[in-house]
Amino acid sequence: MPMSIRPKDGMPPGALPMLILRVLQSNSLHGYAIAQRIHLLSSEVLAVEEGLLYPTLQKMLVKGWVTAEWGISETNRKVRFYRLTPAGRAHLKAELAGYDRVTQAIQDILRTA
Amino acid sequence: MGELWRRFSYLFNRSRLDAELEADMEFHREMAARAGRNNFGNTLRMREQSREAWGWTWLDRLIQDLHYGVRILARAPGFTLMAVLILAIGIGVNVSAFSFFNMVALKPLPIRDPASIVRLERRSLDAYTSEMAYPSFLFYQQHAQTLSAAIAVLGVPPMQIDDDLQLTGASFVTPNYFTELGAHAAFGRLFEPSLDASPSAPPAVILSYELWQHRFSGDPSIVGRAIHINKRPATIIGITSYDLASFGGQHPALWMPIAQQPYFIEGSKALSDWTDSTVRMWGRLAPGVSAKAAEQELRALTDQLRKQHPEAVWDNEFIQSSPGGHLQVMQPQMYRIAAMVAVLTLLILAVACANLGGLMLARAVARQHEIGIRIAIGAGRARILRQLLTESLLLSSLGSIVGLALGCLVIRLLLTSLDAPRWLSVIPDWRVLAFTAVVTLLSAAFFGLAPALQIARQRQQKTLVRQLLVAAQVAASCILLIVAALLLRATQHALFTDPGFGYQQLISVDAQLGKHGYSSQAASTYLDQMQNRLRALPGVRSVSLVKLPPLGHIVSNSRTEINGRAVTLYPNWVDPGFFATMGIPLKTGRTFFPNEKHAVIVSESFARQQWSGQNPLGQQIGDGTTKDTVIGVVGDAHINALNDDDAAEQYWPAQQDDMPGMVVIVRATGEPGSLAAPIKSISESLDPKAMPEIRQIKLLYREDVSRLEMIASVVSAIGLAAVSLAAIGLIGLVAFTVSQRTKEIAIRIALGARPRAVLTAVLHQYIWPVALGLVAGAACAAFASRVLRVGLYGVSNLDPTSYVAAIAALLAIVLAAALLPARRALRLDLARTLHYE
Repeated sequence: MPMSIRPKDGMPPGALPMLILRVLQSNSLHGYAIAQRIHLLSSEVLAVEEGLLYPTLQKMLVKGWVTAEWGISETNRKVRFYRLTPAGRAHLKAELAGYDRVTQAIQDILRTA
Repeated sequence: MGELWRRFSYLFNRSRLDAELEADMEFHREMAARAGRNNFGNTLRMREQSREAWGWTWLDRLIQDLHYGVRILARAPGFTLMAVLILAIGIGVNVSAFSFFNMVALKPLPIRDPASIVRLERRSLDAYTSEMAYPSFLFYQQHAQTLSAAIAVLGVPPMQIDDDLQLTGASFVTPNYFTELGAHAAFGRLFEPSLDASPSAPPAVILSYELWQHRFSGDPSIVGRAIHINKRPATIIGITSYDLASFGGQHPALWMPIAQQPYFIEGSKALSDWTDSTVRMWGRLAPGVSAKAAEQELRALTDQLRKQHPEAVWDNEFIQSSPGGHLQVMQPQMYRIAAMVAVLTLLILAVACANLGGLMLARAVARQHEIGIRIAIGAGRARILRQLLTESLLLSSLGSIVGLALGCLVIRLLLTSLDAPRWLSVIPDWRVLAFTAVVTLLSAAFFGLAPALQIARQRQQKTLVRQLLVAAQVAASCILLIVAALLLRATQHALFTDPGFGYQQLISVDAQLGKHGYSSQAASTYLDQMQNRLRALPGVRSVSLVKLPPLGHIVSNSRTEINGRAVTLYPNWVDPGFFATMGIPLKTGRTFFPNEKHAVIVSESFARQQWSGQNPLGQQIGDGTTKDTVIGVVGDAHINALNDDDAAEQYWPAQQDDMPGMVVIVRATGEPGSLAAPIKSISESLDPKAMPEIRQIKLLYREDVSRLEMIASVVSAIGLAAVSLAAIGLIGLVAFTVSQRTKEIAIRIALGARPRAVLTAVLHQYIWPVALGLVAGAACAAFASRVLRVGLYGVSNLDPTSYVAAIAALLAIVLAAALLPARRALRLDLARTLHYE
């Protein structure tokens, strides 16, 4: 059963932007590809709902973490590709560092308590 | 900053970006379908959610609400027109009042750095004067480090140009006057400290633009020509600009350098006398110095001055500074008047809003259906509320625009009728616009909130709110009508009752001998000759002397308390024949003997208050060592305080030392105007330099009363506006009640109810609100009108006639407004109504 990413499911808030930033780190992708990539990389555990993906992408555009530019999809359609900006890269770095610290702390508790 | 910029770019490119978003989703849906997933969500809703990230959803909703609001208002043009009109009156009155206050007290003068200008006046605990002696001014000017400049203006009685019959207003000013204003001449030059500071400089005069236009027909070649001022030759050096703004909003027609004052007014010691307060002082604060710091330094300087010239300084004297960069230097009592006007105009707004609130409530019934549908198709309560408030705001904005236009019109009329300085403009500045915006929001909240809450809650319309609104309107109208009635009564009283002295045939002849350097002996001789020759004139009944003539330039008073009641004492110095000449009746005792000392005559009301029940004759007045004995009591004659019923007079016999300041009072047997020319020729032959000011008391009195008439008519207009607003509102409400209860009324009539009973049933719910409003309004008026007392010309602020008249008029209007629509209930077509229902 794929599990959907929703803040209220106990996922840390802000996880989706972090995942999006991470899959965009190597190359720019269109919306569908972002969802697919997250789905595949999570070994099909996580599915990204469109209803959450697009509002989040818009938020990230306004924040300036990503930019959108026109490109041609694998099905030969004109579609918008999202690309990481330097600000997005910096944000991702900060997010990852924070996330690592928190998971490390949680792991420590789970192991020793 | 980048994020904000991006947000704006999203706002401006929203349709393109929305289309791109749609394309994104469409592509996503295609791809998902290809992968065998067909449960793609609602694109429209997702797009809406995505757009929310841009942060402009509120704007979209607002635009939507505005669109809808405009449609709703356009669909009910009658209601909209009525509402805008009601609001325009309410807001227009307030905007006019504020614009005027702004013009007078808030707007900085268009002069160089107006914020650093201060007005400096002598104060002590129990005395104040707006003028100081010129030597004192020079002392402060030389020693004050906190002032970068000090400016003095010496006001003088009107002066004569060449052989004009009509005298011209004039001022002597320090040579830095125009440079500190930063003013430029229209032609020629203005005063320069380097050229006009010396008494030996060639005599120079500057003309105002108006004088130049009217007296010299705008001829530029007049500059450099010589004219005679009070028979003294002087050269016209320049013309002020058309829109000159001057200190304290004074605009005389002639300006002369203060150093040359003794040249123009021969024998005057105004520039050297330490005890004669003659000049008004302004100062410019040095950069970085606060008004407080300047006051502090001036206080120390006053103490130094006291040591050098004890005669020039009062006990406890200090120099008070007030902001001087406005048209009017505001005194505390002016703020009181402003506050009173503000309360009255806000009452109008309250009436307008309460009124509109009532209409909106009534309309809410008609809209129940529409709102019901909107809620049924999923509009939230908050959304409906926002929609209704947007409509209110739309209405109040429309009202404000019309109100603002109205306000500009009023100010325009005011400026032309007051002959205001030319730099004042009608165009509202940012303060007026900000005020209008605040009033718009407040009134929208006031008239829109209650109905909106009720509608959004979909509750049965509560009558209580409507009743309270009616009560509030009636109360506010009642206050306004009572104040208007009081002022009207005061005007009537002033016009048709005796002010205590026969003013019709009086002329005052003010030679200002002191200002021409007369000794008391010389003044005495001059006045004796003048009186004798006047008595010999045909048409003169009697002549006498007084120090402070009726409606004169100088008013002197002191406030005191007699048996717990505040009384304003007006002292005066007169000769024995004064009471006979003025027509003030002697009630008991006698008038002064010639050259009598230590005697005093008091007015009737003073005697009554001070020694009620005792014989006032023989009582002692005065503090310290010199006590004066009361030798007579005369009728009340508020000669220097026409409009103040709390005034009480004390008359002392004029002594030899008072002579240079005495004014001749002439009573004519017939028309006093015909005496002006002979009086003038007598004074010319006595001393051509003196040039007395000859004034008909009748004209001054009329002028004084006409000011009151103007105020009374403005307040009446405001009161009538309020009452007609209340009447319109009540008509609407009663009509609504009738239409709501048609069935019930029809049944009552069918069962045989008499018309009276039907009317009572319909109007029942408005009886107590009207009664409550009347009582509350009258009580508020009785309480608040105490402030008015001093302006009522002897009419009591609890004058029953005014109250009864105002309440009766209001009641009549309210009754008419209620009965007019209620009668419809009696003319119902019974059969059809009952059948239909």
